[in-house]
Amino acid sequence: MSTDGHQEGAAVAVERLLVPLSDTVTVRQTVGYAVQTGLEDADSLECHLVVAMPYDADVPESDRYRDDAENLLSRARSWVEEDAGTADVTIETATIGVDEYLFGPRDYAEIFDAYAADHEIDRVVIDPEYQPGVTAQLLQPLERELERIGLTYEEAPVERPARRGRLVGETEDFDRLFAMFWISYGFYLVLGDPTYWFDLLTGAAVAGIVAVSLAQVTFTVPLDRVQSPIRVVRFAIYVPYLLWEIIKANIAVSAVILRPSMPIDPSLSRVNSRVRSGLPLTALANSITLTPGTLTVRATNQELLVHSLIPDAREDLFDGGLERGIRFVFYGRDAAAIPSPRERDDAEIVGGEEL
Amino acid sequence: MIETLQFWAVVALLGLGVFFTFVSTVGVLRLPDIYARAHTASQTDTLGAGFALAAVAVAFGWQQATVYSVLLLFFVFITNPTAAHAIARSAAETGVEPLLTEDPDDADDDATTAVESEGEIQ
Repeated sequence: MSTDGHQEGAAVAVERLLVPLSDTVTVRQTVGYAVQTGLEDADSLECHLVVAMPYDADVPESDRYRDDAENLLSRARSWVEEDAGTADVTIETATIGVDEYLFGPRDYAEIFDAYAADHEIDRVVIDPEYQPGVTAQLLQPLERELERIGLTYEEAPVERPARRGRLVGETEDFDRLFAMFWISYGFYLVLGDPTYWFDLLTGAAVAGIVAVSLAQVTFTVPLDRVQSPIRVVRFAIYVPYLLWEIIKANIAVSAVILRPSMPIDPSLSRVNSRVRSGLPLTALANSITLTPGTLTVRATNQELLVHSLIPDAREDLFDGGLERGIRFVFYGRDAAAIPSPRERDDAEIVGGEEL
Repeated sequence: MIETLQFWAVVALLGLGVFFTFVSTVGVLRLPDIYARAHTASQTDTLGAGFALAAVAVAFGWQQATVYSVLLLFFVFITNPTAAHAIARSAAETGVEPLLTEDPDDADDDATTAVESEGEIQ
């Protein structure tokens, strides 16, 4: 906990300020307020500008997040320079939480607290519009978490424009709501009776509630209006192939188990898959586990640690049929035609110590 | 005619379902360690449940309940690997050493040679 430094803020010559940034309409005012009040209290100011990365920042699609963060930091740096004028201000910028798994406001509060402790921060200034990553309406707001954790902060008094919310986010939010609404409505009607007016009506109401309350947590990466439906169609093509693989593998494993000598050959192998982490990697790891004879023990980034029961299953894995299938689902037919993990030297048998 | 065909289709599918569930049970009993057993446990969920649910779908014919059985199969297919992975991963985290063939190329009747310790599973 880092609460001790706060009272002496005015006494020390250097004041250290922490300003978490996010791309809001009031972020400019927040930075301005922080610099101004900071210079009132002390002669020189050390201004820490940080951007906390959302938890899915390691997926390739969210290179965008990283670029946005860099962009925001450099803008904020020039704002501070502008506001400070001739005063003695040192600026530190950082992106934090890159190798952590920030999910809710609680994680954000904790990581700010840790940062404050590490850098002997005297004051924390929060943008009232601050939006940590994935904030669903169901989660506790950041302010409450900061109070719970005991990190004192100050909310910058900003003038909010009448209209809240980011302009750019609106089409994205709409896409999420739209997709969530039709997914839940469809599911409701499959379970109910699509020709009965009562089900149609209650389904629309339920789907509306579900969409409003859960759309933000369900889709963590922005949806693509063209790609997302195509992926669903490709997935429908992939399923029969997966079923066929499952049946083949089942027969092979059954034959081994039922033979009195039980010629099993357990081995662990490591496969570097060429799919991005997140949903595609989950789909691949699940398909591998679903096929008897291969079992995903660990999945870290793109690296899968797979336990295989019989040599045939291991060979199939090294031939990468399922990987091609998943690439087909997520990236299209051209992307599916890649060399197998064996050919590109991404698969090897490892010992038990790899666990 | 259709009725008899439907009846025997149901019998055949159920028979296959029971067969794979049986194999899976034998596998759980015979296989040496937790990782190997996790493989065969997933057989019950894939083909065992798959054939049984297919039998249910055929028995119901073309109606709403058929859709339910397809949905059920879909959810089983999502949850089963998740559970198998969770078991294998927690075994790895608690330090259970897998029984491995020393040299995977010339293995035939091993599975008894390897490690004794199954780790500490509380």
